[in-house]
Amino acid sequence: MGRSEILPPPIQAQARQDLDVDIDFELIDGIEGLQRAVTRPDSFDVYHQWHTIDLIWTARAVQAIDLDRLTHGAEIKAMASAGSGRALATVFDKLFLQKDGKLGHTPSNRISMLPSIHGVDAFGYLRSIRESQDQQSESWGWLLDARWHGRAAITAHPVLGIIEAALAVEAAEGVVFEDIGNLSIEEIDHVADLLIRKKKIGHFKGAWINYEDAARLMQRGGVVVQSMLWPALTRLKGQGLPVCIATPREGSRGWHADLCISAAADGDVLEAAYAYLNWWHGGWPSACLARQGYYATFPDRVRRHLAPEEWAYWYEGRPAETPLRDPFGQVCIAPGETREGGAHMERMSTVRVWNTFMDEHTYLVRRWKEFLDA
Amino acid sequence: MERPSLATNRPYYEVIRDLLAANIDGGRLPVGTRLITAAVADRLGVSRPPVKRALARLEREGRLRYSRKTGYVVGAARDGVEPVRLNLHALDLDLSGPLSPPSPQATWERIFQTVESDILNCMPFGTYQISEAGLGDHFSVSRTVIRDVLSRMQDRALISKDRSSHWIAGPLSARMLDDAHAVSRLLEPSALSAAIPHLDAAQLTQMRERVRQALDNRTAVSQPTIDVLETDLHTRCLEPVRNRRLADAARLSQLSLVVNRLFGTYIGVHDETEMLMEHRLVLDHVILGDGAGTETALRYHLDADHQRARARLKVLSVFSAPEIAPYLIRVH
Repeated sequence: MGRSEILPPPIQAQARQDLDVDIDFELIDGIEGLQRAVTRPDSFDVYHQWHTIDLIWTARAVQAIDLDRLTHGAEIKAMASAGSGRALATVFDKLFLQKDGKLGHTPSNRISMLPSIHGVDAFGYLRSIRESQDQQSESWGWLLDARWHGRAAITAHPVLGIIEAALAVEAAEGVVFEDIGNLSIEEIDHVADLLIRKKKIGHFKGAWINYEDAARLMQRGGVVVQSMLWPALTRLKGQGLPVCIATPREGSRGWHADLCISAAADGDVLEAAYAYLNWWHGGWPSACLARQGYYATFPDRVRRHLAPEEWAYWYEGRPAETPLRDPFGQVCIAPGETREGGAHMERMSTVRVWNTFMDEHTYLVRRWKEFLDA
Repeated sequence: MERPSLATNRPYYEVIRDLLAANIDGGRLPVGTRLITAAVADRLGVSRPPVKRALARLEREGRLRYSRKTGYVVGAARDGVEPVRLNLHALDLDLSGPLSPPSPQATWERIFQTVESDILNCMPFGTYQISEAGLGDHFSVSRTVIRDVLSRMQDRALISKDRSSHWIAGPLSARMLDDAHAVSRLLEPSALSAAIPHLDAAQLTQMRERVRQALDNRTAVSQPTIDVLETDLHTRCLEPVRNRRLADAARLSQLSLVVNRLFGTYIGVHDETEMLMEHRLVLDHVILGDGAGTETALRYHLDADHQRARARLKVLSVFSAPEIAPYLIRVH
């Protein structure tokens, strides 16, 4: 069970080919996936979690993963204390099962999830609007700029959307939120009120559920600036649209997605789940996703599955030497193009805030729904 | 403390009618006694309107007769007994049953706890509008009573009015949990410590035994069992507290119990060993009569419970539609 951008058809096909098990992939983009994970652990075997580990661990929907059963388990412990592990603190902070049954940073032999991929997201825009922005450096404020009235869009997802909206409000209004990754009730109200007002006057063309909808909004909907996931960008570039993803001066929204094993899995199913995890850790799937802009948490395992020019473009931020293809085999990057934001660690260092379920998530969801319904 | 068993949906005047009818039929209210509304209300310790309605009903039934000169008089006109005004307080009336203890709770009190728990149980899941008319129908009580209940809930910061003046409950925020916890950790330890001298030793031993059994059986503890253990420590142990203001305030800030119970109900009970060990620790101090130790142990337990409730509230936030009372309307 996972989101559509993490499990594109080529990964599903390769998994079925490489693994001697019959796998059903269920793609759920909304909050329903999490609902199912929490209430019915018996309805999935492996869950590609995205910032939900707090919740699913609290709900005991997933079981601890035994490092001894992972082919390269030792790498995970080593990474936790290495530099890149610290850079991805949000991945490793609640990774290891501690003696008291809680999750923590101190390495142990059991982990809550297998770290797999991460990245940094920002808004995307048509290159043509750059001139209208007076060549200013890219800012989240563009999302709310009145010049793009009726031609802006935002993700409908509350967890991602509130963070992007808060960054936009900060930039547009010159306010500073105390902790943008954990907004207070008043701050949520501030952001929600402004979004609702903007929506009522017709600022937003739409709110999208998945990357394919996002791509359509720009392709046919007349949207010029909007929340954007990388697979939507590679799709649009492949279709020849002059579009790019910003490296906003206010910083970007970081994310990671990892693999969890259902609390209900045992016996043969558990064996198969470990086989699937090992397959992911082996690097092929993360290499496939590199072609839509995603980084592997263990990049060395991925490099061997990428052509040198792919590695140079996606990870090192160097100009493409040849046309590069997306996970579906379609050319999306023309020779000479350079990835926005530069190399892997350079781009990750722009993370201002990580995706998270905030303390006031219940409140946030209510206000967000009000925005979507407005 | 036994609550008067008035938590029925029957109109109050019917309860009074039954009581008077029984006293008339049993001869405790002699034929010929004039029943003046104000005097009856005073004798029963209730308000006049339901008494007035009850008297009218009894007249229609033939137990009373009415004339403009004498008002209501016990017995039919053909009894021929002269109306006489007696001091009702001097009569040996049987007031046992629904009206005892002698001063019955105000009507709002009868339904307050039910409404409170209905509302608390929905709050973690979103925002709800409370229908005054729906509440009135559900409990067969007047708008006045409903407003009494709701304004008291507002005083306790459980509900509020929105801009269009609708009563709104929820969503339960992490901040509400934090605020309730801050009050709780100030009040509940002192309340429990004050209760120690009045607690029954045998009852405490039973409570302690229930915790032991749950600990032995840790993987198979059910939510109803947890409910009993929580009620033992957080409700029953506070009952003998003489200072009702303190006890009531402590009870009203137990929001984490609501979250933990909903989590157990919707997600299922997992390993509650830590909670059980904390309960055991508190009860051990209570049994020893160690007030300071009790307070420390209970404060530790409340803090730990608060952290659990905070994490669990986040999980509950992904659910949308639990079973809710008919007078609550989901808004968001």
